Amino acid sequence: MSLIGESIVDSELRGDKGVVEEFGSSTTSRSWYHYLLLAACVLFAAVSVGFVGSIIEKSGPTWLHHPATLITGGGWQSPNGPFGGLAMIIGTLETSLIALVIAVVIGLGTAISIVFFIPRRLRNIVATFVELLAAVPSIVYGLWGFLVLAPWMYSTVDPWLNSWPFAREIWGDPSQQYGPSLFLAAIVLGVMILPTFVAISREVIAVVPNDLIEASLSLGATRWQVIRKVVLPTSRIGLFGATFLALARATGETVAVALIAGGVAKVQFHLLNPGTSIASWIATEFGEAQGNEISALMALGVLLMLLSFSLSLVSRWLVGRQRKLLAKV
Amino acid sequence: MNDLTQLEEPTEIDQSMREEIRRVSHATRARRLLISRVMTTLCALTLAVTAVPLVLLLFQLIKRGAPELTWTFFTKVPETPSLIAPNATGGLSNAILGSIALNIYAAILAIPVGVLVGVYLAESLSKFASALRIIAQTMAGAPSILMGLFAFSFVLQDLHVGFSAIAGSFALAVLMLPVIIIATEIAVLNVPNTLREAGLALGAKPHKVSMRVVIPSALTGIVTGCILAISRAIGETAPVLLVIGGGYLNTWKPLSPVSALPLSIYENAKSEWPSQRAQVWGAALLLVIFVFILSLTARIWASRKQKVSN
Amino acid sequence: MSEAQVTKSQAVIVRDPGHTAMQLEDVAVSFNGRVAVRDATFDIAKNRVTSLIGPSGSGKTTLLRALNRLHDLTPGAKVSGRIVLEGTDIYRGDMTVTELRTRVGMVFQRPNPFPTMSIYDNVVSGLRFNGIKKKSLLDEAAETSLRSAALWDSVESRLKVAASNLSGGEQQRLCIARALAMDPEVLLMDEPTSALDPIATLKIEELMTTLKERVTIIIVTHNMQQAARISDDCAFLLMGEDRAGELIEFDTTEKIFNNPNDPRTLDYTLGRFG
Repeated sequence: MSLIGESIVDSELRGDKGVVEEFGSSTTSRSWYHYLLLAACVLFAAVSVGFVGSIIEKSGPTWLHHPATLITGGGWQSPNGPFGGLAMIIGTLETSLIALVIAVVIGLGTAISIVFFIPRRLRNIVATFVELLAAVPSIVYGLWGFLVLAPWMYSTVDPWLNSWPFAREIWGDPSQQYGPSLFLAAIVLGVMILPTFVAISREVIAVVPNDLIEASLSLGATRWQVIRKVVLPTSRIGLFGATFLALARATGETVAVALIAGGVAKVQFHLLNPGTSIASWIATEFGEAQGNEISALMALGVLLMLLSFSLSLVSRWLVGRQRKLLAKV
Repeated sequence: MNDLTQLEEPTEIDQSMREEIRRVSHATRARRLLISRVMTTLCALTLAVTAVPLVLLLFQLIKRGAPELTWTFFTKVPETPSLIAPNATGGLSNAILGSIALNIYAAILAIPVGVLVGVYLAESLSKFASALRIIAQTMAGAPSILMGLFAFSFVLQDLHVGFSAIAGSFALAVLMLPVIIIATEIAVLNVPNTLREAGLALGAKPHKVSMRVVIPSALTGIVTGCILAISRAIGETAPVLLVIGGGYLNTWKPLSPVSALPLSIYENAKSEWPSQRAQVWGAALLLVIFVFILSLTARIWASRKQKVSN
Repeated sequence: MSEAQVTKSQAVIVRDPGHTAMQLEDVAVSFNGRVAVRDATFDIAKNRVTSLIGPSGSGKTTLLRALNRLHDLTPGAKVSGRIVLEGTDIYRGDMTVTELRTRVGMVFQRPNPFPTMSIYDNVVSGLRFNGIKKKSLLDEAAETSLRSAALWDSVESRLKVAASNLSGGEQQRLCIARALAMDPEVLLMDEPTSALDPIATLKIEELMTTLKERVTIIIVTHNMQQAARISDDCAFLLMGEDRAGELIEFDTTEKIFNNPNDPRTLDYTLGRFG
């Protein structure tokens, strides 16, 4: 049982289960119990409205006066501006997308291996282990990335990377590099979201019915063909869900990135240069911020909210569409 | 409709078709088997690639963190090292106490509301319920820094409460709510309908059925969800970073500033003192141990109830 | 000679090798040392329906699955003895397991079309797995096998529709068509109608009587009457005291049901136990 997995895979439960007597129907008298539940719901609704509303409200000044700067501007000058969020946006996109690619490519293979290539006795242990890893707080990954991975990469890997042809285009100018970098952040993010992705993917792949696998083998398919042409397509829905969940986690990650990306708000793409992301910039700058800067940081928060909500929306839409396709099935 | 009349004798075309099928399948077999070999090996490799950094991480965590978990660590407040005493870091009792306080308050705030909303979502077909469900699912995926911004904006600015434990707990509660709601809804939905019907058949009113029959059955799932929510909240830095204040004192009162384990790690990771950097490995290890215990507890609890109900 | 040995030697019907699709010699299957079925020795005749009957636990399905090496998937499974397909030992001979499975197809108990594929894609899936890409070939094979499965008329106009739009009986015929598209020599069927309603069952039974002109059919069935209706030869298995299934008798269906050699066979066919 995995909470994360279930919330992706769940809504088949809804069907005709669960509802015996509908609340709010006029034929049943409302009891204090109904009112209690409704009160809690109203409270929750209020909290969520407040959640969105207060951040938007506090960011008002920035949207009113300098919306363009926030989205397209380059530098971030405390304490009075101009506050340009482009570097953060680029950083968020670069790090999360690279992290996602790492997590999906490696994670999919890992999930497949766990389900098909690991002996039955070990499977449960490995699955539990992966779920535990998914629960490790991100600050721990950040700490490890900063104190262990970063120095090693700086001394061992970076020089090699910088020696590639086209190094300057991809990695940037070595004189500007000092360890913390967007690439490092992307890798640590990738390692961080890997267990989550693997845990969900594994669960989804494991429930592909055995007789589909046997049927395809009986037709003369090779193991890889079974995986590629039968198992993966059948588990498409859940895999999409896993991908979006991983992406959502990557884009929202704050402290790990704050520790290892370098915290430099400069608009550039080079991977081995230091950079920042929206979430980590908010975290690092907020402490000393006043007035206008707070408003600008809140505005960055709004951007983050938009990003997160859109991901959620797209994920729901995609999963819903896949469900409809397969429901005809 | 008698489809069976369709069956004909094998014709010439038939024969050549069969031969070509045999021929092609034979010709491509070696290549297909090779591809299968290669790809499955690659998959196995990715397993190794996944395992390596994670195992290394755990190894470093234990290696660097274990020595830090001393009696001092648990009982003394932090000190600042100086040149004459570079290893005088004290302990992290302030952070431990703060984390405990923060999470208890957050749980008190989030669990009652979350469970109630979850029950409602499971048992109601109204549009309101659908809307709340979407809200909960969306918020579950929201970056935790936003909860910190919300707490700052609402508790600190609007309510004029200063840096405090309650502000941090507020942020954590907002974080935990969607998780608890979703878990509760799933748990209640998983209660078989036959149980509900039995309760109603005995003449009990629907709300009594819900209270006395359904929720107790769903309790395992609900508890599991709460444990997982707490386990997540303990390790979160971003929501509390902006609003709890930190500090070196052993405080826990709701209105006073507190520290927290994740916060200490974040603050001291970049310290110039190696001894302080070393100390936070202990905090990290402690966090991970705690989270592991909670997760395993949740898992064992859930599976035991499964066995009983089967 | 003891009772058991007499029974065994009478179980073998010696046929002309040219008319034999598969030969089983002392076949036994065990899982982690525990024997599930043993002493299976008989020949499957070409172009006939051979049924494996017996009560639950007698090892019929286990034996069937050994014939296309499905037990290779199960760690700890061991198949001993000789199983010969057209002169080649399927376990120790020169044939790869993928090749074997193109020659020995299988239909399962519950209809299992691939859920993400259309009817057409399902039928030609075996061909595609085996590297056949030419559209004209795929089309031809699809039509031929769908006709053979008595499904062409009802699906001809909706080949691209998702496979699960079909009823249970139609889905099972789709699975049969899918297996037939590979033009196998032998078709294994594991209780193919047990999940279907009586009308669908009847349709498939009719199908089998015509199909056997093209493929040799080996069917496991729980349903004695079905075996009596459709099979030409019959192998009766029973669980022994050691909880391993063993072959009790193998003979023509007529003989098994009217005048079996072994009293246990008689008891079973008379319904004295099940």
